Amino acid sequence: MDRLPRGRHGLSPEFVARNQRDRLIAALILTLADVGYQKTTVSMIGRRAAVSKSDFYKHFDSKDSCFFAAYDFAVERMRAAVVDACAAAGSSEWAVRVQAGVVALLSLLAEEPAVAAIVLAEGLRAGRGIYDRYQGAVESFVPLLREGAPDGPGGEPVPPATDEAAVGGVASLLSRRVTAGETADLTALVPDVVEFVLTPHLGTEAARRITSAG
Amino acid sequence: MSATRPQLPAEFVAAHKRRRMIDAMAALCAEQGYEATKIADVVRRAHVARKTLYDNFSGKEDLFLAAFDTTLADAEAEIAEACDAIDADEWEARTEAGLRALLGFVAAHPEAAALAFVEAPAATPTSAARYEAALEGFIARLRESAPPGPVRPVTLEEALVGGAVWIVQRQVRRGAAADARDLLPELAEFVVSPYRGVGKR
Repeated sequence: MDRLPRGRHGLSPEFVARNQRDRLIAALILTLADVGYQKTTVSMIGRRAAVSKSDFYKHFDSKDSCFFAAYDFAVERMRAAVVDACAAAGSSEWAVRVQAGVVALLSLLAEEPAVAAIVLAEGLRAGRGIYDRYQGAVESFVPLLREGAPDGPGGEPVPPATDEAAVGGVASLLSRRVTAGETADLTALVPDVVEFVLTPHLGTEAARRITSAG
Repeated sequence: MSATRPQLPAEFVAAHKRRRMIDAMAALCAEQGYEATKIADVVRRAHVARKTLYDNFSGKEDLFLAAFDTTLADAEAEIAEACDAIDADEWEARTEAGLRALLGFVAAHPEAAALAFVEAPAATPTSAARYEAALEGFIARLRESAPPGPVRPVTLEEALVGGAVWIVQRQVRRGAAADARDLLPELAEFVVSPYRGVGKR
């Protein structure tokens, strides 16, 4: 087997073929989505990646170190999708950029359920250590949201904690949906999520208008 | 009674021992995490016999779940009491009072807060499920108490509770549970503002 089995994992064949380390990371993400963290073993990862056990240990010293690398990879993929979408909407006003970022994020998760699973569901059951990474990942979206954001509707600046809570709230909502097996339907949440993160800066009515304008 | 030493009722002693084991579990979780905590550590910390522990709990996970349930019940009782002290039509004030009670609980019980907010979501599959159920309870409470108004996104309460819990969790993880009350102004604003239009008072 020189490549991963075809399936609805959404990882590109180019990525899968690129090299052993990347293949192992991809194999862990897919195995985790199938059987969960506890049941995932180094042998299963190696078999799926067509990499021998001894080669596995040339890249990672344990299942956990492979898992952490995979987690970081999946988070970076999510971040890149948002950053690219915001950049593509570059000169538009803030709310339009935010909307583009949310659409990109939820579309990526819906199309690559294994990425959604490791970052937002299965990965979180891997024990205490992963929470630092999860926290860092969630917090890394806050500056993206705040960049170019207007002051609150009353004219006063929106405190960072408000946007932190909003981003944490979205992460919690997405995590609940992914855990419930509703990953494929995440894009239906775009209007809710956009309204939720715009509201502190624009007020409920203006946020609603932008969301319903699509 | 012929004993020269005053005796406490047996139920009181039993309840007190049970509490000591639960508190020991919380303290050890806060220090070293659930995974590293051993029954032997709990027994030593709680000053109870190993047999006493197994008379009360089937094992480490059972004790942990009891500690989680106790913490949740204590916190919910304080929140309910604080909310009920405010008139039902004072929605904002009630919500703020509930949040204040929650943050006060976290500040007064940093170890129990660490157990409930940091350890429970990842300790075991059963504890993760109970944690989720607890979140569900807070979401339902907020949804039921929300004031009548225009149609709002159905996910609003999930995102608000998730966001508030996120901030509390982070505070506890930073070892700053004792200062949790400082979070009140911004958290109250965060939770209440979507219902009234931000910035309007």
